[in-house]
Amino acid sequence: MKAVIENIKAILSSYSDIFFIESYVVGGILLLATFLNPNLAIAGIISVLSAYFFAKFLKMEKTFLSSGYYTYNSLLVGLSVGYLFKITPLTVFFTITSGIITLVFSIMLYNIFSYYFRLPILSLPFVVISSTIYLAVVNYSNLFVSSLYPHIKLSFIETYMPLWVSGYLKSLGSILFLPDVAVGLLIALILLFVSRILFMLSLLGYYSGTIASALLTGSFQQAFNDLSHFNFILIAMALGGVFLIPSIKSYFVSVVAVLSSNILLSAVKTFWALYSIPAFTLPFNFITLLFIYVLGLVGFPLVAKVIRRTPEETLDFYLTNLKRYRGYDTSIHLPFVGQWTVWQGFDGKWTHKGSWRYAYDFVITDEEGKTYRGEGYQLTDYYAYRKPVLSPTRGRVVKVVSDLPDNPIGQVDRENSWGNLVIIQSDKGFYVEISHFAQYSIKVKEGDWVEVGSFLGLCGNSGYSPQPHIHIQVQSSPEIGAYTIPFSFSSYISENRFYSNDLPKEGQVVEPAYPDKSLELKMTFILDYQFEYEIFENGQKKGELVMVVEMSPDGTFYFNSGKGKLYFGKRDGTFYFYRLDGEDRYLKALFMSLPRLPLTYREGLQWEDYIPIRIVIPPLRKSLILFLSSFYHNFATIQYTGKWVSENKIKGKVKAPMLNVEKEATVVLDEVKGISSVEIDGIQLKLKGIKYTKEEQ
Amino acid sequence: MKKVYEKPVITRLETGFMNKFGKSPFYSRKVRQDIDGVPIERLVEEFGSPLFVYSERQLREKYRQVYNAFASRYPNVQFGWSYKTNYLQAICSVLHQEGAIAEVVSAFEYEKARKLGIEGKNIIFNGPHKPIEILEVAASEGAMIHIDHFDEIIDLEQVADKLGKQIKVAIRLNMDTGIHPQWSRFGFNLENGQALDAVKRIASGGKLILNGLHCHIGTFILEPEAYAIEVEKMVKFAYQVEDNFGFKIEYIDIGGGFPSKNRLKGTYLPPDVVVPPVDEFAEKITQALYSNLRPGDFPKLVLETGRAIVDEAGYLITTVFASKRLPDGRKAYIADAGVNILFTAFWYKFNIEIDRPVQGANEPSVIYGPLCMNIDVIDEGSLLPPLERGTRLIFSPVGAYNNTQWMQFIEYRPNVVMVMEDGSVELIREKEDITDIERRERLPERLKVK
Repeated sequence: MKAVIENIKAILSSYSDIFFIESYVVGGILLLATFLNPNLAIAGIISVLSAYFFAKFLKMEKTFLSSGYYTYNSLLVGLSVGYLFKITPLTVFFTITSGIITLVFSIMLYNIFSYYFRLPILSLPFVVISSTIYLAVVNYSNLFVSSLYPHIKLSFIETYMPLWVSGYLKSLGSILFLPDVAVGLLIALILLFVSRILFMLSLLGYYSGTIASALLTGSFQQAFNDLSHFNFILIAMALGGVFLIPSIKSYFVSVVAVLSSNILLSAVKTFWALYSIPAFTLPFNFITLLFIYVLGLVGFPLVAKVIRRTPEETLDFYLTNLKRYRGYDTSIHLPFVGQWTVWQGFDGKWTHKGSWRYAYDFVITDEEGKTYRGEGYQLTDYYAYRKPVLSPTRGRVVKVVSDLPDNPIGQVDRENSWGNLVIIQSDKGFYVEISHFAQYSIKVKEGDWVEVGSFLGLCGNSGYSPQPHIHIQVQSSPEIGAYTIPFSFSSYISENRFYSNDLPKEGQVVEPAYPDKSLELKMTFILDYQFEYEIFENGQKKGELVMVVEMSPDGTFYFNSGKGKLYFGKRDGTFYFYRLDGEDRYLKALFMSLPRLPLTYREGLQWEDYIPIRIVIPPLRKSLILFLSSFYHNFATIQYTGKWVSENKIKGKVKAPMLNVEKEATVVLDEVKGISSVEIDGIQLKLKGIKYTKEEQ
Repeated sequence: MKKVYEKPVITRLETGFMNKFGKSPFYSRKVRQDIDGVPIERLVEEFGSPLFVYSERQLREKYRQVYNAFASRYPNVQFGWSYKTNYLQAICSVLHQEGAIAEVVSAFEYEKARKLGIEGKNIIFNGPHKPIEILEVAASEGAMIHIDHFDEIIDLEQVADKLGKQIKVAIRLNMDTGIHPQWSRFGFNLENGQALDAVKRIASGGKLILNGLHCHIGTFILEPEAYAIEVEKMVKFAYQVEDNFGFKIEYIDIGGGFPSKNRLKGTYLPPDVVVPPVDEFAEKITQALYSNLRPGDFPKLVLETGRAIVDEAGYLITTVFASKRLPDGRKAYIADAGVNILFTAFWYKFNIEIDRPVQGANEPSVIYGPLCMNIDVIDEGSLLPPLERGTRLIFSPVGAYNNTQWMQFIEYRPNVVMVMEDGSVELIREKEDITDIERRERLPERLKVK
């Protein structure tokens, strides 16, 4: 029964998916709206259901329901059939076949697009299939005889409206094949309610496109009456809010795209009209895919990597993630122990240029900033000289050079720039190259397996090295001197601050942090374990919070409280709460109090993090703040600072000056497992017990 | 300046090049007019003579140098300050500020560390004599107890019963690391299986949890390789314990024993030549760790180095009280400090500096202390120029073991000061007077002098 409800929800969502909204409630409202034209509504449902049952026959109903593309393309095709013909046994049959062919075509297109272009298919299957159907029906005289029907005008309000308003509303309605101001108004309100950004973009797209068209054709009358201008709305919403991170730049891109789509739209109409096919969403698909593809190709920084339910959420996710996870996926450990100073970073002043710009050099400095004691004429005067170099990654040693002499101070070996070196193929795929080892100090050989922290050799002064230092770079191939790729360092301490994955600056003193085994064990939560907390609010007992450890299909673990899912994980020597799905104020309290925890204890050690706006701010204010943030990304950041007070105690501070937020949190870790108590905002959670739920079943 | 009359003496001719003193015998002398910028004369004027002077700057610098030598080579290093080397509160506090925990070897030292505000968990408790009362206190406060003998295991099990909890402990090992003398009287011997027996005994008792290993191979060790052997043996033993008994060895305490730049009697070459730099010790020790530890396993490396850190930060200012000519023709001086407060004079030949430029050729001289005892000799023979009465002699390094082993024998123990990093001078131990010495005495009424 639960499964059936889930399926119905998924199918309902396909109605809202058309407007880039993921909500079965909105979907339900839109479904009801389609009943203004029952032919439309029924054809739509028949098409989706036939596609669904065929998908079930192919044993892919799960994929079918989880991917919006399959459902809403078959829905749109159904609507397009229903728009043309009234429901008769013949059209039912016709609709079923159209639904199935849409599904099959979608699957193929999806595969090709995602594999070769890394592109979504949007409503391209709908455009192709519906165009094909419209071409085909010319031959089906049977359908024409019995099924064509006149469309009734549903709204009379239209007459009281200025043309530029009704034009927008009718275009909006046309997306659902209901070119009607009432439907348009309903959709506009839904957009406004769900996402201010989408609503604004719909206006921006429609009016910029339509005015441009009016100027080109010379007739505002004609332009505002052209229903195919819904393409402008879709382009603006897709580019400005969905596939790009909402921002001034993405809004600009969407306007540019809308303006250029005008030409395409006119061209399509001219050509298609010969065969009496409407343009459908072809301009939208073509222009949107074109822009996403090209922006991705040139590495436009605002292409959304993760798309959430609304542009606001995408923005919130992007803003916090941009700040929370600063490094790269190609992250490595610092290759030494103790405190070293960054001598040269990426795009360095001296040698880190061109193809070798992604590299780091480290030296040891004293309190005066010198790298040597005494005069510095001898290698042994240098603090870095003969200090251990440890493996920064887990992997296999693929190249070792160890016989080059250490240059005297002031001389360099230009012939063998890289000096004595070790290249390791990381188990994550990339290659790490470390240079300038002392002669014959390397203790690993090609083919050896090394772990993070395995001893490699001693720092020296071989190769192009004017003074003893460690050079490290990441490359995508194993040759000496190969092109470098960007990387970052995980789990290090600088000025008593813990960095999970970041890029230290030139001159910064850094020290690697090795995760504390017992802390790591403490923050490991095993599937099906249930954590029960007593809730106190302002000292009053307020029931219990029960969370069970579960795993999502992508392998991420989360605490499920019934009302919300709090995702967590460990990487870079850090325990993270990644995100919260659903609304649970106690899980929010937990998230806010400890968004991340370094798995290294040092008294007084501090760390920073950023908390998504939705965790801290109530929904209504939140949406306004996010809308404004889309124009200026730094508008509202919520900063977290954590600090180890003692071995099991953390003090946290949540601060957002623009939003007038300032909270203090106290977290106490349990001796053995997890978090024993949390206190923030008058809410107090106290661990009551831990149960293994599987035992009871 | 009026020339002082000196009785003529005959001295052997030296060429002035190579000689066993390593310097020109006639006119070379070392003059020190200040310690860290504070004139010797001012120090004596204000605090009297003799006077122990510590340099805060040198103490901190040395600590950092030794600590960094290890911390820049191994990710998990902890220093324990060896209280017995110097337990003046100011010295301990400087080192605690630098990050060292406390290493104590008796109930007295344990109480001293606690009184200084060091938490039990930050105290390493070593030593062969730990009465059960102090063991109980230490165990309940979570100190790192290093067991020395089987009887101590029994005592600790009793304590565990009494406290109703398992106690985390370490055992001290002794082993052959190729040096002499081999310290075999402390802890359990590794080679003859005694150490393994101790682990078995601890495991079978079930009341103690073994989480560390300790060893201390000797003192003033000039051979870094000895530590490499020690580390290798300890790591191998740690894995043997972990794999067979299920204990997790969280730390390996390799003790101390690193030399300072002091000159042992009978050493021909100066300490700058003989004493290996601390980096050499650190390199050998960490190399041995990396080649024996399993990848990714970094148990805490604990070091209890005392002398190497504090010795060179300490000076003793003394004053020439009188001079005389010995029958064999040597010059002799009587200083106001002797072996009573300079215990290490028994094995070191100190660096002697004079507080002012002095005229005249050097001649072999003996320096005696103020005691009315034949053994009170600070220096049996150095080349010194003729010294006037009242000349200050500065002996160094004297920071290790003197302020803990000094004795009150017919004299009062003098002031101890510290020249702070900002140039000010703080009195850190006031000189004694008669009340200090008689405070604990009880004179029976009928014995009183009427």
